[in-house]
Amino acid sequence: MASAAKVITVQEEGRDVTYRYVASIAELKKTGQLTRWVGDHDILLYEYEGQIKALSNVCRHFGGPVGYHKHEDGVFTCLWHNWRYSCNDGSCLSHPGLPLRQYVLKIVNNQIYVDLLG
Amino acid sequence: MKPVTLMAQFHAEMDCPKEVVMWNYYDHEHLVGTHFKLYNRARVLAERENWSLVYRSKRMPLLPFYTGGVGFQFMDGNTMKSFHMDSVGFLLEMEALFSDLPDDRCGVTVTYRINTHPFFKLFEPLFQRLFKRWFWATWEEDAPMRLRRWKVHRLGFKDFGGLDYINKKSVRNRDARPGPYVFDPPVRSASPIKTITGIERPFDHSTEIGYADEPFAIQYGPELPSETAADEAVAQK
Repeated sequence: MASAAKVITVQEEGRDVTYRYVASIAELKKTGQLTRWVGDHDILLYEYEGQIKALSNVCRHFGGPVGYHKHEDGVFTCLWHNWRYSCNDGSCLSHPGLPLRQYVLKIVNNQIYVDLLG
Repeated sequence: MKPVTLMAQFHAEMDCPKEVVMWNYYDHEHLVGTHFKLYNRARVLAERENWSLVYRSKRMPLLPFYTGGVGFQFMDGNTMKSFHMDSVGFLLEMEALFSDLPDDRCGVTVTYRINTHPFFKLFEPLFQRLFKRWFWATWEEDAPMRLRRWKVHRLGFKDFGGLDYINKKSVRNRDARPGPYVFDPPVRSASPIKTITGIERPFDHSTEIGYADEPFAIQYGPELPSETAADEAVAQK
């Protein structure tokens, strides 16, 4: 595959916003869900109801991999202790008040980037 | 007749401190999560700082059925000793000896013993085969959990909280170095595992996407420019 830019910078509301590369659309399409470390962030990338979304893949309980199992019925179940999170917005169904961070993402030339600070 | 001892022993090493592996052994709730293919129910009957009494229902390799049983485990220095009485009727004694290795690594030597009627000595090869499969099946499922637990600890993870820099959308403070991993049982739990119902696994089949935890160097010190090895690795995927 043609190599994607690792970082892109976009002007948004008068400021520079840096987005980091996560994966290509083609990679995501294979299973509809993937996880990948980007710097110090473990990113859970997935398709849900026709949208591509990105959440933190680090369970708020003990740090387990939320996206180990393919989501079912709109819910992610963490591998380690079965904490459940909504695919819609990352809210925690097991322990409300401990949601997963949602990442703002940008798709450019079929490549998916996330804003680690946004 | 004098009983005989059936014995099997295994040794493995892990790229994390022994305290992380001890935590894993005392984290009973992960049995129906991480080991969802092997265990279908767990309940902590009682536990204190260095011991626990736990009911587990599991399916051993080579056996086509689940067996429920109670296990008692306690720490004796760097050795975890446990006794499992299964519905099959055998008392299984297990010892796990934890040792420190250089560079935050550790070794674990596990010995399984059953004291039984001399007739069963004939079946020792089967016993050894069964426990070889069991040891490696559970080790391979636990290994990525331990390594990831160690990784997120070094990133500053707080139990029932997470990573501050992720939650607060800020840059990780690379000057903050977390202390050593502390093994402080009993492992905190927020599930019904300590109630009369215990916990059941939610499913036994899944489409597994897997871990994304390839070997990963935690960066300390000032924020590095974007042209780091980690960036390169991501870009090459």
